[in-house]
Amino acid sequence: MVSIAHNSASTPLSSQGISRLEIASMALDALWSNKLRSSLTMLGVIIGIGSVISLTSIGEGIQKSTEDSIRGLGTDVLQVMAGSAESGGISQGQGSVTTLTWEDAQAIEEQAPSATVVSAYLQQQAQIVYGENNTSTTVYGTDLAHPEARNTFPESGRFFNDEELAIASSVAVIAPTVQKNLFPNQANPIGENIRIQGEIYKIIGIMEVKGSQGPQDRDDAVYIPLTSMSARIIGNNSLMGVAVNGIYIKGEDESQLDTIRFQVENILRLRHGIISPEEDDFRITNQADILETLTTILGLLTTLIVAIAAISLVVGGIGIANIMLVSVVERTREIGIRKALGATERDVLSQFLTESIVISVIGGGIGIVLGVGVTFISATAFGFPFILSTTAIGAGVGLSTSVGLIAGVIPARNAAQLDPIVALRSD
Amino acid sequence: MITLENITKTYHLADIEVPILRGIDLHIEASEYVSIMGASGSGKSTLMNIIGCLDRPTAGEYYLEGRELTTLDKNELAYIRNQQIGFVFQQFNLLPRATALENVMLPMVYAGIPKTERRIRAEAALTHVGLSDRMTNRPSQLSGGQQQRVAIARALVNQPAILLADEPTGALDTQTSQDVMNLFHQLNEQQITVVIITHETEVAEQTKRRIRIQDGQIIA
Repeated sequence: MVSIAHNSASTPLSSQGISRLEIASMALDALWSNKLRSSLTMLGVIIGIGSVISLTSIGEGIQKSTEDSIRGLGTDVLQVMAGSAESGGISQGQGSVTTLTWEDAQAIEEQAPSATVVSAYLQQQAQIVYGENNTSTTVYGTDLAHPEARNTFPESGRFFNDEELAIASSVAVIAPTVQKNLFPNQANPIGENIRIQGEIYKIIGIMEVKGSQGPQDRDDAVYIPLTSMSARIIGNNSLMGVAVNGIYIKGEDESQLDTIRFQVENILRLRHGIISPEEDDFRITNQADILETLTTILGLLTTLIVAIAAISLVVGGIGIANIMLVSVVERTREIGIRKALGATERDVLSQFLTESIVISVIGGGIGIVLGVGVTFISATAFGFPFILSTTAIGAGVGLSTSVGLIAGVIPARNAAQLDPIVALRSD
Repeated sequence: MITLENITKTYHLADIEVPILRGIDLHIEASEYVSIMGASGSGKSTLMNIIGCLDRPTAGEYYLEGRELTTLDKNELAYIRNQQIGFVFQQFNLLPRATALENVMLPMVYAGIPKTERRIRAEAALTHVGLSDRMTNRPSQLSGGQQQRVAIARALVNQPAILLADEPTGALDTQTSQDVMNLFHQLNEQQITVVIITHETEVAEQTKRRIRIQDGQIIA
């Protein structure tokens, strides 16, 4: 039955060797036989990959939601703000100086051929009262072009008209959040009188829902004629006429914005008597610029946070390396036996390397599931879009494999290079 | 079959050279039943390691089945151990987590033999050493004698040129030792070459040819 093999001297001195599948199953066996240790070792990778995935995805979600809200404000709009004139070297911030007037807006409308919609506004935080209820909101004094400029229209009732603007009428159009706060039980408050800083205003319209966009709730607003605002609420008319905080300008489409910017700059410099190199007393921004800046900042922040998360992945990798080193020492005899039975250095190397990779990849897999779960929960809880970042998942798979590989190299090499005679003698 | 020509082995400890084997000439024919005897420190373990391709001689030539082995690299030696040598150790050296069957299949794993064939051959080998009813037991569930039988089955399963046993009865009681020796005898009668390294005269006396080694030289 058992016979002596007659291997001739000419046969090649190697076998097909052990298959990858075989090594993988050996690695799983070894890990299974030490469940507690294996799972604790995995935990490092689980947490590492989990946080990288969730933070990347959450970052992308927040970025997307911010982009959407800024886009919602309209990237086809230029905003002229009363300039950040420096006073004694201290920048006073945009809109803080009343160098911009309604007359400027009217001049732009008349003289800038590419500007199709021009709308000036004043704004102020104010207390609004109706009966028992009161709320603090932003009051906008605007002209008639505001709905078109900001792409927000009355849902019911109407916006104020030419005549109401001309005579500084006490009429107000409220946005949905204000309606909710002041009239919790009243479906249609049109015709009611509210008090804005003590002055009575009659509600003539309710704006449509625009939603919360970024930090700003566009539905938390009250619109009154610019003239009323200027005369009765802010009242700091400059010598030049009705001071405004800003002017919105729209063109035919987005491609016109550069042309409009050029025209507006020239008109305002002329009107304000600014000669180069004197500094402008106004600023022109557009949402696209803001979007770009914000995207850059958010991207940087996300990268930073993910980099911190990646540190835990490195720690997880060190954990694997550590356990593998211990494991190799503990299994010195096993390694000796395997070598005596014909395992090559390469066989032993792959065995331990595979163990390390299997720990890391299983941990990575669990981490991915965990990360996606955390992302989903956060997205639902905080109301940003749930984006399954394929980049993050790809990176998770790649990272966990490489963590296992790198962590396993030294322990596996130690195992492979063990002298079988010494290994067999060990206890 | 096995031919050793003027094999020497010298260890270098710091500046001192420690000769372990000093010119061993040995020839073992196929189907022989040989014991190599010697006290501890005589060099018999080193000789066994060289015959078993676990170690290389400092000088000399070693032919196994006509092939010169001293020039082979590590991978080739691993292949020779896998294919031509069957090891039996004093401490059995079974993998504690694996069943008897899995232990016996291990050399065939490294030989790249398909799983179904491995199983068939391992079952046959275990049956051959009288353990057909213990295949799924782990080493801890087996007696010392049974563990050594598993080790012998494992040593035979790749049909090696020689069965190389290092103090195979050293960890066993007298009765079990005799059982194991009877098994070697049986295997030898089936034309298997058996080489036993031992320091026990009672063990050596049961082999057909006794080689004595002392201070790194064959004295008888």
